[in-house]
Amino acid sequence: MPPLVEARSVTKVYHTGNVDAPALRGIDLKVESGEFMAIVGPSGSGKTTLLNMIGALDVPTGGSLTVLGEEIGGLSKRARAELRLHKLGFVFQAYNLVPVLTALENVEFVLELQGVGGERRRRAREILAQVGLEDFADRRPNALSGGQQQRVAVARAVASRPRLVLADEPTANLDGENAEMLMHLMRNLNSDHGITFIFSTHDSRVIAHAQRIVRLEDGLVVERKIGEDKSGHEA
Amino acid sequence: MSHSIAARYALRSLRRHSRRTMLSIFGIGLGCAICLFVIGWVRGERRMMMNAAAASGSGHFSIVPEGWIPIRTNDFRIDGWEGILARLRAEPRVRVATPRARVDALLAFGTQVAAIEMVGVDPRAEPLGNRLVRRVVAGRYLKAGDEEVTVIGEAVADRLRVEVGDPLMVTVSDHEGEMRSAMLRIEGIVATGSRELDATICHVALAQVARLTGRAGAGEIAVTLVDAREVEGFGGEVAAALPEEISLLTWDELRPELSAGVEVDEIWARLVVIIIMTVVFLGIASAQLAAVLERRREFGVLSALGMPGHRLLRVMSAEALLLGSAGGLVALLLGVPATWYVATFGVDFGKLLKMDSIAMSNILIDPIFHSDFGWWLVPLAFFLAVAATLLSSLYPAWYAIRTDPATALRVDH
Repeated sequence: MPPLVEARSVTKVYHTGNVDAPALRGIDLKVESGEFMAIVGPSGSGKTTLLNMIGALDVPTGGSLTVLGEEIGGLSKRARAELRLHKLGFVFQAYNLVPVLTALENVEFVLELQGVGGERRRRAREILAQVGLEDFADRRPNALSGGQQQRVAVARAVASRPRLVLADEPTANLDGENAEMLMHLMRNLNSDHGITFIFSTHDSRVIAHAQRIVRLEDGLVVERKIGEDKSGHEA
Repeated sequence: MSHSIAARYALRSLRRHSRRTMLSIFGIGLGCAICLFVIGWVRGERRMMMNAAAASGSGHFSIVPEGWIPIRTNDFRIDGWEGILARLRAEPRVRVATPRARVDALLAFGTQVAAIEMVGVDPRAEPLGNRLVRRVVAGRYLKAGDEEVTVIGEAVADRLRVEVGDPLMVTVSDHEGEMRSAMLRIEGIVATGSRELDATICHVALAQVARLTGRAGAGEIAVTLVDAREVEGFGGEVAAALPEEISLLTWDELRPELSAGVEVDEIWARLVVIIIMTVVFLGIASAQLAAVLERRREFGVLSALGMPGHRLLRVMSAEALLLGSAGGLVALLLGVPATWYVATFGVDFGKLLKMDSIAMSNILIDPIFHSDFGWWLVPLAFFLAVAATLLSSLYPAWYAIRTDPATALRVDH
């Protein structure tokens, strides 16, 4: 079975005025289906850039990046949007829920975009129940705590039943308890539904949940290791 | 619509900055209300001028001989005019059809002389279709069967220094070019309220013109309709039924100088509407663009989630549609009472200009101006408001669609 993500010598250079700022300088990486992987490294090491590439939000400047069998660099803007909508899920550091929609509507919105019809509300409620927020379905984001908002964001990310979820510093704005709860939630979704998770972090408590850890520094992979996986789930 | 999350998103996005939204709606509404008022004003002006021309003797349209149009000579007569007149008078859409024959005449009394266009009329029909002769200040107007009598305007009487009962020497050129004269007794003097118009009035019976000129019949039939809006429809029917050598001229063809005046006002009104709508357009575009810039990160997230550009365009269009519809409603709330007031009570230019009556191009114009008012205001208000809002949302929507998710998310990182 081919890897879910395969990066070969991926580079990314940002052009700022006359200055070229390399963010990734030749990344080689393979992610297999069902993995729960952490990308770690200091700020500016290229974690977010790499996640953006894998998430088809951006395209590499050089090298080859294949995600779910699609060569990202060769996809049109529309094709990348299609890929994101139907096969990928995102969790952002700042939650990024739509503030004028309720928790339920935030989840439902993705299903509506996918063209899910009559069963969309039921499915959205089920997913909210899975993340323990069925009683908060009608609340808007500003009436939810940070931890609850991020759980809604996770529900939104998995609502479309993606094969791969990308989470960029998902616990950065959460306290220890909520961070722990979120990691358990993501790990459960990984083990119960087989959803592959790739998340970036520099929080050691979060890193401890990862099956595999990839460390970036200055746009290069400097270390790969098997995680301790303290979540208690079987690998 | 209410089940669509995208629609709810659009609606609630407008409520997010309720003050800005309300100001935008009021701005659109006020701009469109002014446009409605201006459009109502010029529509009213056109109708007033048409009715003024009709009531001053031109009718809503006139039947004339084909050759009359380029040279406007008084020598032509309409073949079969009595049959045409009878058919027109039998038509319920016609209020009055009045035949006329004109001849250039020289009026003399003692040493006083005045050149004038003498008009032969049907004494019964003429006062019904021509308000210029309704105000008789001395004597009476013509009656059926009157012979060798005339009714003149007050200014003519003053110039010739005559009064009712005085004999007037009338000299005309007959159909062979010979000078013919007759003595006509002054039966009545009319005053229109305008000295300019009074100086043009000299009416005799139609048969009198025939006796003087040797040309029998009518040179024109002026037709006043029950409903002025039928000019094009009914006028077209009549024109189609006329023989080739007879033509139909509408009021604006008969009075091109008056029509040109109305058209100039209409052009100004269009210019005013364009300027106002441009200001509204720019105001809304600015507000919408500010809203898009504020929501750039949100659009970035939606794009990251895979929302296609056309769906985002639909959301932005829905917001514009809601904003425009509310603006249209405000336009009606502000524009309808103002237009209704001027349509119902009018604006008295007689008082403003300190004139009893206003005359222009041999037309007596009602000094109280009335706007046009009707159901047309409703679709126009919504059309203006929604079109301006939708158009002004195009650039902000294009900007939103072009939002690169990676950049938008990185900006606030």
